[in-house]
Amino acid sequence: MSTPVTMMTAQWRRTTSIALVAGLASATLALFSSAAEQKSPSGNPVRGKQLYYAHGCYECHGFNGETGARRLVGTGSSLIADPNAFITFLRLRADAAPLAPTQTMPSYPVTTLSDAAARDIYSYVRTFVLHAPDPKGIATLQTIIDSGKTPYKPSTSPWQPARSTSRAP
Amino acid sequence: MGIARRPGSDLMVQTLKELGIEFLAANPGSSFEALQESVVNYGTPPNTMPEFITALHEESAVDMASGYGRAEGKPMCALVHGTVGLQHASMAIYQAYYFGTPMVLIAGRDDTFIQPHTANDMAAMVRGFTKWDAQPTTLEGALQALQEAYRQAVTPPTAPTLVVIDTELQKLEAGALTVPKYKPPVISGVDRTAAREIAEKLLGATNPRISVGQLRTPEGVRHAIELAELVGASTSTTATSGPMSFPQRHPLCGPGANTKYDFTLGLETGPADIALVGPRISSLTAARDKSGIGFGGLRAEHGRERAEGGGRRNVIVAQLDVDAEASLPEITRAAKELMTRSHQRVIGERTAKHAAANEEARLSALRTAVDAKRVGWDASPVSTARLYAELWPLIMNEDWCLASPTNFSGAHHRQLWAHDRPYSYLGGAGAAGLGYGAGACAGAALAARARGRFVINVQTDGDLNYAPGALWSAAHHRLPMLTIMHNNRAYHQELMFLEFMAGLRGRGTDRAHIGSTLRNPFIDYKKMAEAYGMAGEGPIDNPNLLQAALRRGLASVKRGEPYMIDVLTQPR
Repeated sequence: MSTPVTMMTAQWRRTTSIALVAGLASATLALFSSAAEQKSPSGNPVRGKQLYYAHGCYECHGFNGETGARRLVGTGSSLIADPNAFITFLRLRADAAPLAPTQTMPSYPVTTLSDAAARDIYSYVRTFVLHAPDPKGIATLQTIIDSGKTPYKPSTSPWQPARSTSRAP
Repeated sequence: MGIARRPGSDLMVQTLKELGIEFLAANPGSSFEALQESVVNYGTPPNTMPEFITALHEESAVDMASGYGRAEGKPMCALVHGTVGLQHASMAIYQAYYFGTPMVLIAGRDDTFIQPHTANDMAAMVRGFTKWDAQPTTLEGALQALQEAYRQAVTPPTAPTLVVIDTELQKLEAGALTVPKYKPPVISGVDRTAAREIAEKLLGATNPRISVGQLRTPEGVRHAIELAELVGASTSTTATSGPMSFPQRHPLCGPGANTKYDFTLGLETGPADIALVGPRISSLTAARDKSGIGFGGLRAEHGRERAEGGGRRNVIVAQLDVDAEASLPEITRAAKELMTRSHQRVIGERTAKHAAANEEARLSALRTAVDAKRVGWDASPVSTARLYAELWPLIMNEDWCLASPTNFSGAHHRQLWAHDRPYSYLGGAGAAGLGYGAGACAGAALAARARGRFVINVQTDGDLNYAPGALWSAAHHRLPMLTIMHNNRAYHQELMFLEFMAGLRGRGTDRAHIGSTLRNPFIDYKKMAEAYGMAGEGPIDNPNLLQAALRRGLASVKRGEPYMIDVLTQPR
């Protein structure tokens, strides 16, 4: 294993603490929309956390599964509906993808990630919690929406000449 | 050779003054010591128009010219030393060429001092990705070459140009020689007949539309606004992806009240029934690019879309190969001549409907965007969406310029911010090369400093480490530049590529970080900024601390002091 936890910050460790597994298990499961998603993971989320980092899952899905090219939480994706679907998906990806630089989902064949390790990652992924606050409770987000109502102000400055040119020491 | 009482380099500086060159960036070199001495000592006051901007790397000097040129639509000057300086600069020149940024480059040439620093044909090293070059042999020829370099740089297709000037010419006694009168380029637009035809179609259409791409200068943007308002056409814009396009939140910008457009005019873009598309950089490569640099990208009809088989999103039915910006005044004039009271009444009603519909569309898009961006709001490290979201309310009533490429940090400004100025967002690096951001932002900040605005630099960590000396230039010249690190501690795109390749080969998906990450040790960007004399703070990984830091940063840049905030971010 390389150095997975060195990248993690204290805040991140706090946020995604494995302690969440027990305390938030029911709340987390509720995030997955289909009944099929509610099959119990069988891996070890503690090991899964390290593997999630070491095998680069965070690169596209974020440290908390909420960001990046494709978030994992709150999507209702059938690909993380159960461990078997998850592992099947991991195995097949690159076979269908071009042999060229790409940001599409890599393959994780059994030669580089065992079934047991994949189950650990799966169990860790299932601990992720969606944080998506109501914009009405976040002044910043509400201001952004309201800014769309701000009347357009024609600019004069782009066509004004420079006021001064020299302030060098 | 004796000491010249009226050195040739003074006349060179006078030429630059008369061309309106505000800034000249350079890393010092012996091949232009005479010219540098003239820049800093000639004229009243000295070191003004152009002001000498100290760069710590020639790549930074040219990137500064890129940032300035994109923001202002006119050239800045970068001065490089012989073969070594020109090769340092070449990457930035290449990017500027790909983007079509006007700039005037000067390379010093000294045959008598250090032989490895000179060449018989200096410009040959960058000829494949410059528009025009000259190596004059007389002082008068040098002055004319500088003027021609400027003229070529601003004439479409706009691009970098290069003048190689011998040290002997710089030191030569000018005697009674004076700067020749500069003749600006005559940039042709559509002729009167075509302009009238277009105006008739715009006025005759029930629901006209104008697709606005990237124009050359702020004046072109002003003309586009004038025409759109005159004929009451809804418009599209590329302002969220680059400079010099239609204001994003102008009442006419958006889908409008009716999306069945019966005539669309394209300005350097499609879709359009008639598109005005000026010459592209690709038209130059056959004559100058003998080595096929760019892997065919420039040789293709880059940026042009024609009707081929239908179904294409950006279809152009008919294209006139003529500069759109130069065409707009004649089209506007024709439309005014053809305008009747009946037209005016219809246009007034249509404009009001468009404004209402576009506002609704804008608000709907903002709600959708906010709904998406709020996911991971409290994530630590900080989500890139939150970084952009926290910034917007703090700058939305200010005069700002987002000068860094944003594709690697999620480009969330496209959905959350309003790009209403020709310089709101200056676009990507040009040729997708790293090392561009800080230098380009410093150049944009040179323009901003003189015009009472400030620059936002969302700086990727990998990019900064190519030429971080641009931070010192910003501190030294007191540039209003707020740098916010998108610090994901990796060359993250390459990391993803490596991950994919390892998976494809079925080995070592846990080793893709080797050679593609910036760990062990982490880089402390706050200390880096401090080392260059720039105030800063961080690293910040708690998103709730971000807003206060941004406020401090903005207060600093408004005082004319650049500022760095190191933010530990989610990877993308």
